[in-house]
Amino acid sequence: MQQPKEIFVKIDRCVGCRSCTMACAVEHSESKTLFGAISETVMPKSRIYVEWVPPDNKVPLVCRNCDEAPCMSACISGAITKNAEGILITDMDKCIGCWTCVMVCPYGVIGRHLESHKAYRCDRCPDRDIPACVEACPTKALVYDTVESYSESLRKHVSIEMTRSDRR
Amino acid sequence: MEDYYQYVIVGASAAGMAAAHTIRQYDHEGSIGIFTDEMDAPYFRPLIPFLVSGKKKAADMSLIGSGPYVEKHITINTGMRVMGLNTTKKQIFLTDRSSVSWDKLLLATGSQPYMPKNIDGLDISGVFALRTLSDARQMAKYVEQTKHSVMLGGGILNLKTAFALLEKGLKVTLVVFSPEVLSQLMEPEDAFLIRKALDNAGLTIITGVNAKAILSEKGKVKGVLLDNGSEVPCQMVCIGKGVRANVNFLTDSNISVDKGIVADKYTSCNLPDVFTAGDAAVTYDPVSGAPMMTALWTNAVEMGRCAGKNMANIKTAYSGTFGILNATQVADEPFVSMGTVHTNSFDFEVYRYHANDSYRKLVFNADGNRLIGAVFVGNIQNAGLYQYVIREKMNIKHLKSYIIDHNLHYGHFLK
Repeated sequence: MQQPKEIFVKIDRCVGCRSCTMACAVEHSESKTLFGAISETVMPKSRIYVEWVPPDNKVPLVCRNCDEAPCMSACISGAITKNAEGILITDMDKCIGCWTCVMVCPYGVIGRHLESHKAYRCDRCPDRDIPACVEACPTKALVYDTVESYSESLRKHVSIEMTRSDRR
Repeated sequence: MEDYYQYVIVGASAAGMAAAHTIRQYDHEGSIGIFTDEMDAPYFRPLIPFLVSGKKKAADMSLIGSGPYVEKHITINTGMRVMGLNTTKKQIFLTDRSSVSWDKLLLATGSQPYMPKNIDGLDISGVFALRTLSDARQMAKYVEQTKHSVMLGGGILNLKTAFALLEKGLKVTLVVFSPEVLSQLMEPEDAFLIRKALDNAGLTIITGVNAKAILSEKGKVKGVLLDNGSEVPCQMVCIGKGVRANVNFLTDSNISVDKGIVADKYTSCNLPDVFTAGDAAVTYDPVSGAPMMTALWTNAVEMGRCAGKNMANIKTAYSGTFGILNATQVADEPFVSMGTVHTNSFDFEVYRYHANDSYRKLVFNADGNRLIGAVFVGNIQNAGLYQYVIREKMNIKHLKSYIIDHNLHYGHFLK
């Protein structure tokens, strides 16, 4: 079986340019273009957040699609379901805007549409092969990969670094 | 009907259904039989006010196939009340005296509305205590002959129901004994913005008074007599005075009961192979360790999932129950209340922030190094992180200013 892909974050690569948040909001707009998006009456929202931590680290945050997702269990209207790819989907018709998911998400990555009174989150861009945020990231701080392949790339990277330091 | 299931679950609401689906995730074979005295298939109980308002149909509230409730081969026996049990023979007894045997048993019988004994006339037609889908249907029908409804109690259930009735065009009066609405979830000062929103939404709220009697005419509600002597004419009364655990059927059993069914750290009762979860269970507060009963969907699901794992032989400690863990939105005013939020009587370090459109209160222990409670009104962003900090009993020294300023984000937890 094809392993599901995840969005991984390399914090040391993020420069805080917020290209990801822009691309995410555009992707989730009606028009799907930047100029169209900024003129829409309901302002399109990004589902990825870039926070800042002292001394000067930028931290992109996005839904982790937890294995035992607290939001899915806590939801009092059954609006949150995990699809076949392991992605948590909020059913906008079922969501009643009680914000219980916001109250239990330990990552703080569930947003609130105040206009429509619905909760929203990263949907991994179902219409795209690669999520918009990942494609937009100019420093490759966001990586879209399977757990297996991503950890292999990390191992390779570390072993290369170690052999280099041995030579010195 | 089968006379044996490997897993028998009494109660088909949050805790029972969460347990069943969790068992199924770990045990693909063992038979699971659930018993409920309700005639309806399992549904999302918190949604029933929407049946009264007409915003949702019963079918839209169905639990099976929604959210995490997608596992197969779980038998649900509706309309079957469990009258008692024999823990030696490992059997439950139903109304028709038939028995069903089990290897593992979960008691997730939930709770029922508390009907105050000091109010006369609670059996009059037109008095409701909204608990089941069936109650909601009857209430929805009675709305047609109602112009004015009086709600006794100022908790979340009554507020949600009040809004359902307002939407149906009724005049609604809330009679609250406490000094302010939502007194179980926050202090009067914390509720200021919510109260303002409720008043603006057209609710009439009377505080500091109790009902003495429900008045009737031809067997139907015609008013409420209050303990200040005044009389409020109305055609409907809704009781929202909290709940009591359904444990009466255990009177002749040797299951340990203290207001609710006593659970140990692993959701087990005092006898082997018997477990409990949800409103009926007595657990403990993760912060203070004190025995605790709650009537919250979210807690019931979490405890049910934990019980399900233990029943499937995956020993899992229950992380405890926040006595208060509520998020909702009433009258366009979202709020979150969690942990210890009543701060009048003990020594706490409390920070309050008032703005025109938002309010927050952060409660730390006396030493000021642990967050133990929080109320957010208006702006509830990232509330989950504060919940996490409270639950994990984090030493928050380096995070305190972010917490007080409501600027906490997950990046702060990364080393």
